[in-house]
Amino acid sequence: MNLEFVNSYLLIITLTSLLVNSIIAIYGIFYRPHYIKKVIALTILSDTMNTFAIYLGYRRWIDNVNPRPPVLTTPPTDEALDSFIRQAVDPLPQALVLTAVVIGLAVTLFLVFQGYILYTHYKTLDMREIKKLKG
Amino acid sequence: MKRAIELLVIISLILGVSLLLTFASELLVPSKDIRLLALFYLFTAFNPRIEYYTVSSPEVVTAIVWDYRGLDTLFETSVFYLALIAGLALARKLYTETYSGEVVSGGLSTIVKTVTRITAPMIIVVGASIGLHGHLTPGGGFQGGATIAVAPMIFIVVYSTMFLLSKGVSSSRMLLLRSIGLLGIGFTGIAGFLIGLAVNKYAYVFQNLPKPGAEIGLPAYIGNVLISGTLWFFNFFEMLAVAAGFTIAFTVLLLARREG
Repeated sequence: MNLEFVNSYLLIITLTSLLVNSIIAIYGIFYRPHYIKKVIALTILSDTMNTFAIYLGYRRWIDNVNPRPPVLTTPPTDEALDSFIRQAVDPLPQALVLTAVVIGLAVTLFLVFQGYILYTHYKTLDMREIKKLKG
Repeated sequence: MKRAIELLVIISLILGVSLLLTFASELLVPSKDIRLLALFYLFTAFNPRIEYYTVSSPEVVTAIVWDYRGLDTLFETSVFYLALIAGLALARKLYTETYSGEVVSGGLSTIVKTVTRITAPMIIVVGASIGLHGHLTPGGGFQGGATIAVAPMIFIVVYSTMFLLSKGVSSSRMLLLRSIGLLGIGFTGIAGFLIGLAVNKYAYVFQNLPKPGAEIGLPAYIGNVLISGTLWFFNFFEMLAVAAGFTIAFTVLLLARREG
């Protein structure tokens, strides 16, 4: 069992856990009756999807060396830039995930405020009872 | 017992499917090469030899966030702003924010209060460091602002919301700080364009360093300090806006009363 095999096994474990995690989160969004639990499941889903996007931009180990984060830490000589480009991971998914995290947080904040309004209006956050009340 | 068995089944399912996929497919694992677009970003982000195409920022993610895809981040900031405004509009009748001047007592024990008073400035300094070094190290305006917003949150939990109000951290002041941050982001976005208007030369909106055909731009260095043109200013103002925004959200959510 060489290092390459272990490496890809660990990556596939990550991928499978992400898939299972998103399935659980979707179950929580649709089948849990409580509003706050729905919001929590939504944040779990969005975080899972963000991790998945970062996973897509990841890079496999090259000659048993871990890929570097996309931050240049040395003066930009030709050799430094060359090794940087050969080792760094994809920065674009990380930038997109940064945007997605901010927007997800804003939406969560809005949903929490809305939950507050729901509670003051209906005196409950159980979506089954709110559905029955109609108005 | 039943829960433990369920957990065991789920974990063994994950591990087994992972083992199967390892043998079945090589496609799902990231390859040793990355996309050409990523190579372009990595090559041009901090490269003084291609003077007109670089951002002069060693942190490639910040360079993408505020320069290559700057408009994207500008609209993301406005989405964050609008969501907060919508939340405040929903909660507008639920809270009253008047500090009556009474002596604030209560809260957690003296040990917790003292530790909070010691650690809160450290939290703010760490957040400022993350935000202001956003163009050099991992981090940036949003992360720094979110870290700074932890300090008022801890004060609310350990002391009380009224204590924060008595120290002058009211939501209207935070709204002012947040507006300063957003105005700063807006003006930094059109800074190159305004300079271009003043000296009567071509310049783009959201321009950072000089580009071919538009020689106007902010300097990458001030003295010997690398500020990467507009990136430092964007990070600074974003940090202000995010820290103030989260503080507003926390105070309003914890001040809201059920009877309204």
